[in-house]
Amino acid sequence: MLDFLLNFSQTTGIYAFMNSSWGWPIAESVHFFGLCLLIGSVGLFDLRMMGYASEISLSELHRLVPIGVAGYLLNVITGTMFLSTSPNQYLYNPAVQSKLFFMLIAGINMMVFYGTTATHVKSGASSSQVILRAKIIAGISLFCWCAVIVCGRLITYYRPPYHWCLWC
Amino acid sequence: MRESGVAFFSSLTLHSLAMAFVVGINFAVAARLIGFAPRLEMAALSRFYEIHWYAAAVIFISGTALLLAYPAKALSNPVFYIKLCAIVIGLLISKRIQSTFENKPEVLIENTSIKLAYLSIALWVITLTAGRFLAYTHSILLASRFY
Repeated sequence: MLDFLLNFSQTTGIYAFMNSSWGWPIAESVHFFGLCLLIGSVGLFDLRMMGYASEISLSELHRLVPIGVAGYLLNVITGTMFLSTSPNQYLYNPAVQSKLFFMLIAGINMMVFYGTTATHVKSGASSSQVILRAKIIAGISLFCWCAVIVCGRLITYYRPPYHWCLWC
Repeated sequence: MRESGVAFFSSLTLHSLAMAFVVGINFAVAARLIGFAPRLEMAALSRFYEIHWYAAAVIFISGTALLLAYPAKALSNPVFYIKLCAIVIGLLISKRIQSTFENKPEVLIENTSIKLAYLSIALWVITLTAGRFLAYTHSILLASRFY
């Protein structure tokens, strides 16, 4: 796995870019920019679903979500650049593993939302049961994205194999 | 601050979280002003400025804590002043947009607001980029190296 990722990074030119003078901080800036786009769209939609600023139309606010998707794509691209350039520092890092775990939960949560609740919520005619479900889904989503940011910050504090790690 | 891993890490994490909310809300407002979600009312969207200002306060407090931990590192780096200027002008623009639209559903979006939206996006991108580059561009970590 390590060799595969490193080979991918080297053959695509990612490795050379990331090891250039400003490659790493540029990728980090873009990565955090993507997270801000996510919070500014999905995060605000979650807050609205939780009951904040109830005068805002949910279906209209939902039109900002594609901006969050664009931010997520930026994160996936830059995240892959980090991972493939320095796989030994990321694959065995408990902060990265926790970050991926929260991203997985956020992804499953999003599928549950679009599969069960989105249509009712966006139409505006929801029963109290749907409203409660939407609030729980929004709470989980917001928590997961905040946890992703916290775990992202933690990555530099865990440099395997020097720290204890539940998975390693 | 410097010797307590928990205190330093907490400040750093809170700074990042609060920055994500401030920049995220500013991007959402700017996107609306530029033309995304045209039926989304600016007066209603301005409600999120409440969270924005709480997050800005967290940025100020955690930023001050981080500055106190490594004052020479930041104060001797020009990138720090670029970040500071960008964040101050960015927040002034937020205040201006908020006062233009909050509780005023009848106000139309004019060219000035659209220009401010573009400027706001540019300033927040500069803030984020300067923030990240701070960790890579410092030439002095501790003032004690001079003693």
